[in-house]
Amino acid sequence: MRTKLLIAAAGIGLLLSAAPVWAHHAFAAEFDVNRPLVLKGTVTKMEWINPHAWIHLAVKNADGTTTEWMIEAGAPNGLLRRGFNKHSLPPGTEIVVEGWQAKDQSNRANGSNITYPDGRKLFIGSPGTGAPEPKDAR
Amino acid sequence: MTKQIFLLMGTLALVTLASVPAAAQSTSSEEGKVDKNWSAPKTPWGDPDLQGTWTSDDTWGVPFERPKQYGTRRFLTEDEIKDRAKRVEQSQEFIDKGGPAHSPAVAELEAKEKGETPPPAQGRYGRGVDAAPVPGHWGEFARRASPLTSQVMDPPDGQIPPMTPEAAKLLAEKQQMRRKQDSYVDWSLYDRCITRGIAGSIIPVIYGNGLEIVQAPGYVSIRYEMVHDVRIIPLDRREHAGSGYRSYMGDAIGHWEGNTLVVDTTNFLGKTAIGVNGDFGPPTSEALHTTERFTRTGTNTIDYKMTVDDPFVYTAPWSYEFPITQEPGYKLFEYACHEGNMAMHNMLSTARMEEAKKAAAGKQ
Amino acid sequence: MQNSFCSIILAAACAAAFGLAAPAAAQTAARIPRTTAGKPNLTGLWQAFGTADWDIEDHSAQAGPFYQLGAVGAIPPGQSIVEGGDIPYLPAALEQKKKNYANRWKEDPVVKCYMPGVPRATYMPFPLQIIQSQKDILIAYEYATTNRLINMGKPEEAAVDTWMGTSNGHWEGDTLVVDVTGFNGKPWLDRAGDYTSDSLHVVERYTMLDANTINYEATVEDSTLYSRPWKISLPLYRRREKNARLLEFKCVEFTEELLYGDLVKKTPENK
Repeated sequence: MRTKLLIAAAGIGLLLSAAPVWAHHAFAAEFDVNRPLVLKGTVTKMEWINPHAWIHLAVKNADGTTTEWMIEAGAPNGLLRRGFNKHSLPPGTEIVVEGWQAKDQSNRANGSNITYPDGRKLFIGSPGTGAPEPKDAR
Repeated sequence: MTKQIFLLMGTLALVTLASVPAAAQSTSSEEGKVDKNWSAPKTPWGDPDLQGTWTSDDTWGVPFERPKQYGTRRFLTEDEIKDRAKRVEQSQEFIDKGGPAHSPAVAELEAKEKGETPPPAQGRYGRGVDAAPVPGHWGEFARRASPLTSQVMDPPDGQIPPMTPEAAKLLAEKQQMRRKQDSYVDWSLYDRCITRGIAGSIIPVIYGNGLEIVQAPGYVSIRYEMVHDVRIIPLDRREHAGSGYRSYMGDAIGHWEGNTLVVDTTNFLGKTAIGVNGDFGPPTSEALHTTERFTRTGTNTIDYKMTVDDPFVYTAPWSYEFPITQEPGYKLFEYACHEGNMAMHNMLSTARMEEAKKAAAGKQ
Repeated sequence: MQNSFCSIILAAACAAAFGLAAPAAAQTAARIPRTTAGKPNLTGLWQAFGTADWDIEDHSAQAGPFYQLGAVGAIPPGQSIVEGGDIPYLPAALEQKKKNYANRWKEDPVVKCYMPGVPRATYMPFPLQIIQSQKDILIAYEYATTNRLINMGKPEEAAVDTWMGTSNGHWEGDTLVVDVTGFNGKPWLDRAGDYTSDSLHVVERYTMLDANTINYEATVEDSTLYSRPWKISLPLYRRREKNARLLEFKCVEFTEELLYGDLVKKTPENK
């Protein structure tokens, strides 16, 4: 359970499929490898904070009720440097989150893969390279 | 006076590069070439001008200690650089494409639906999960292929010198004592949002590798994005603070040697490591004395060198170096870590919940 | 006799004491250090004195939250740094302030070592270091290693809301004017429950009164909390001790037991 220090790791595998995010804390300390999930919902808020951004997601359940989920995402500073900002994921946007549920089985999950309903990933490249325009961007 | 030495509960074992094709005999000559048409700029008051926002992104992927097959070679060959350049290009593409269409979570769910065994998890990041916990393309990568075989350059074999017997013994004892997830102290200084130390704040990781240099007559200041550390370096050759005052980032004094800023730092608490997490990695003690050298070699490059001299821990001083670069549009953003550190709360509460579950199960 | 006496102490003061005409040099306005570009040079180690961090409005001496600390833990008196005396709260905001005050030992973000925001960072009981280059200006606060860069070039908008806001500065004569926006609404203005919202807009003005004193003013504007903009002002004094330097107050460790103590594994030692 100890966080291992990945000071140097540039093998090809690291750069490709196993997306090279340096896990500064253990995934398994929080999330359950036996509870994979896919959530479809509407963004109610995105917190552009560190060390993790958090996306609040209203997910409609099968019975018509709505559950508010909190999705732990990556640190936002790299995105900010590429031109994204607090308007880049406006409330009301529909997204799909793939990840694993928190071990305490609360309505919390990590967002290992976050896309729009059509499959395009969130925050690819920089604004204007294929992502839809934020609805209420200034 | 009793000298209380704090040693870190980290490990000196550093991950090195996966096997690289056997190097050619010739060495590359990609040393920091200074453009002949460029001359070092000066501030209006006549000091060398190091100002700007700089990043160590380009050294991401360069191993800290040198893989043994390179021997005393500091630089990659042309072919090795081409190899690395391919990986750099792939990682830059990754930003635009985002990697595989689905996370392994989907593969697991699909397998479950079909009643099949999910593909085996490979356990790099998640102790059994082979996907990153968060989207990898949100990270930051090298823009160019670094020609370096390692960050550690001295001793010439690129290996950190052995620890002293006393320090090695203390480290082993501490590692025995270390508990798992009992408390916040079991997590790194970075996870606790305290600091990554002067070494960790510049050694590159997957994002947040920026620093900003602002100068004034008599001062150089450096502020680091992660974790919002700042150092004020006076140039008036004053004495270091008295040894009764110690800090995580130490007490820095600077002076110029030609165009090189030399920063001499002492008064450390001895709680940080020379590693990106703040305290996991090559340990240090209160005896630590660091010397950093910042030399601007072009409009957009500074050569950075750090010498670690800790006679209590290491049998010899050692150094690492790499360039930091300016990139168009690259600026620092606030990294308020502790203020948003829900992970610490979540990790500890999860650990307590699991213990309670186990205890309840045990009673049945 | 007088002359030799006056040569030992400051000529002007001496002259005044003895009813003599002050030497011409001493009659010039207080000289302030200037940069090569002729601007006031604010570089240095500065600190506010007084008790504004306890409460920016008038406050009497009072007991602190822990009687066990006696006088050491008590709250000193202070006079308002708010021009006009009181913050012009809208009624609902004043109710919230009172709620905050009642819960201040729990709710004050600084108790948790969170960043203090602007202007509170300026009058925390810790020094701050200004590094004024020919371009931008860095302010490093000893408290919690908080720091901010004042962009002196083309103003930039805040990409995200932060604790310390986004600072754009320019000179108006000899006054450094800093426009700060993009706050996240989480900092308080003091320990007495005076809070902020994410509509906060602060304009700071730094004017050197002499080589060792800065007059600091901040206009605070937020139409969701206040009936009008209002202003604080107080002096910042240069720390002139020999070898004075910004030290390190990393307070996260002092708050971990408070924040996470109930989540720490109970052992026979710590039960």
